[in-house]
Amino acid sequence: MSLPNYIAKIEGHGEIQLDVENNTARLAILEGERLFEGMIVQKRHNETYWITPRICGVCPIAHNLACLAAVENAFGVSLSPSSVALRRILLAAQNIQSHVLHLYFLSLPEYLGVDSGVEISKTHPVHFKAAVALRAFSDMVAETIGGRAVHPITPTTGGFHKYPSQDDLKMIKKETAKVKKLGEHTYNFAAGIIYPDLRRGTEYFTTVGDDDSYPMTNTSRVISTKGLNQSIQEYSSLIKEKVKDYSTAKFSEHNGRGFMVGSLARFKNAHDRLLGPAREMYDKNKELFSHHNSFLNNLAQAIELNHFIAEIDKQLDFLLKEGVDEKIAEFQPRESRAVGSAEVPRGTLYYELAFDNDGRVTYANIITPTAQNLTNIEEDANEILKTIGKDKSPEEKKDLIEKLIRAYDPCLSCSVH
Amino acid sequence: MAIKRKRKTNIINKKKADKIKLGIFDMTDCEGCEVVLVSLGAQIVDFFKHVEIIDWRLGQKMKKDDDLDIALIEGSPITGDEIEQLKQIREKTKVLVALGACAAIGGIPAIVEKDQREGMYNAIYGAGYKPLGIDSLPLAAYVKVDFSIHGCPVDGEEVVRILNEVKSGKAPQYRGYSVCYDCKQKENPCRLLEGKACLGPITQGGCKAVCVSGGLPCWGCFGSRKEANIPALMEILEKQMNKKEMADFFGTFLKATPEYKRYFK
Repeated sequence: MSLPNYIAKIEGHGEIQLDVENNTARLAILEGERLFEGMIVQKRHNETYWITPRICGVCPIAHNLACLAAVENAFGVSLSPSSVALRRILLAAQNIQSHVLHLYFLSLPEYLGVDSGVEISKTHPVHFKAAVALRAFSDMVAETIGGRAVHPITPTTGGFHKYPSQDDLKMIKKETAKVKKLGEHTYNFAAGIIYPDLRRGTEYFTTVGDDDSYPMTNTSRVISTKGLNQSIQEYSSLIKEKVKDYSTAKFSEHNGRGFMVGSLARFKNAHDRLLGPAREMYDKNKELFSHHNSFLNNLAQAIELNHFIAEIDKQLDFLLKEGVDEKIAEFQPRESRAVGSAEVPRGTLYYELAFDNDGRVTYANIITPTAQNLTNIEEDANEILKTIGKDKSPEEKKDLIEKLIRAYDPCLSCSVH
Repeated sequence: MAIKRKRKTNIINKKKADKIKLGIFDMTDCEGCEVVLVSLGAQIVDFFKHVEIIDWRLGQKMKKDDDLDIALIEGSPITGDEIEQLKQIREKTKVLVALGACAAIGGIPAIVEKDQREGMYNAIYGAGYKPLGIDSLPLAAYVKVDFSIHGCPVDGEEVVRILNEVKSGKAPQYRGYSVCYDCKQKENPCRLLEGKACLGPITQGGCKAVCVSGGLPCWGCFGSRKEANIPALMEILEKQMNKKEMADFFGTFLKATPEYKRYFK
């Protein structure tokens, strides 16, 4: 029995199906259905965000915090300012963890003519050392705030089960100063690459919070490059999920077309909110980012990484000055329904949860960033076949599409869930 | 389905100069255990120095059609293709190691039972959907597993310890203690004595009690110890929760295990 030819170096199982005769491509997602949206029905509210991080081991904190946002919105829980700051640090750590893994181990090696991160340790030891140090830093932050590097433990409805001490925060502050240089190194690496020049207009979606900070946890409104500005509570009227007969993941559409979420989309909608060096790095590449080229998502991630380091630093200053409020906000489970969202490594993550009076789940819907990007990826792949890939052999076409898919940093495990 | 507890473990018998042939595979899952491998950084690269990676889809494009000394397999074989792939790997592998809770004991995906799937497909995908999934079971439902590295996710240091034992031709051993021992080392107060839920006493140790240290109960993701006195723990928990809640609690990671079936079915 022959098995599918799964795409290498992406999270989860998928296959590019190239129709050579008609010069079209589709992306078949072949991950098994774990049925998380059914699995958590009847579970208690405080089990949901313990179970759903298992959707993705690359971005478990993202799932934990977006799920918590839905629970807290449903029960009307508001967090203390220090818990908000800690959640932002935790998500910043998550985004660094994920971006580092993606850039150094999955996506960029092929631009160096190398197959794997393990090979990079021999061919480009400077890059490898930077990757390992950044990963160790972000793992350490995730562990100190969230209890563990993969699958967080401490976050709970209304705050955290365990809060870091002032010594913990000072230690992170010291380490943050050390990795700033590595953030710049990552930027220089990604900025030195010549990306395939794909140009195709699309709509870029991002969610933002109630203030003017760079969008991260607890976002509340969806905005787009075509002027959309709506509450996340209305997400289901904006995003339609289509079931395909060749995929176990649903493909998202807006007005019958693809749209894009993620680092590049955040730049399109919120680059003026970037902190410190990330802002300057964006400005240097402003012209390049004005092209609608999905391959540039890699560069956007490398710049964003610098933002997240600066974000950790900023929130630490606040916590070291104001101290950590160790209370957990009180709440009463009630019959309710709410949407929670966050801007996570690959884009916007939505959780919609409904509860009965005992705080047990009666309905769950989760739309992951990759599920939102799938239609756009296929549209881009077909554009490649018509333009920059037109005169290439079927093998080369496939390679170029693989490169495109990796630029999106897709998580197929997430997209099926 | 039964997970065999007592079996003769295959071991590697190699000359020192020969490189170990390794394959790392993922079935359907979160890939978090592979992320733990990557997080080991220089430590895992040191291990790889004595190893030839024959196949690792997440890490590299290159793969060879070759026999394997060690296969590390993560995740749940949910689709027909995955079950087939798993059987093919078994045929060409000397020591097959389950990596993490999904592969070893079923874990979170096994919360969904086979007869619930159709209703869930209808609710999530709509009527008429043609699923790829068959069932969420651990690897041992389909092939012989030589050793399991437990945890959701696995603990990095445990992975290094166990892989080094396998590499040097030993049959790896579990830690001879439960999570309670890990917990004492972390100086955590006992949750059960405080009237809070915990599966620590029946659970295989080696996790450093991260969950209890972080304010949660032990949910048993390292699997039950062979000597575990489950009825004694159930007696304590009965004072805190009803039978359904207890089944849910045990069933978070252990639903596909013989222990769960024995006490809660």
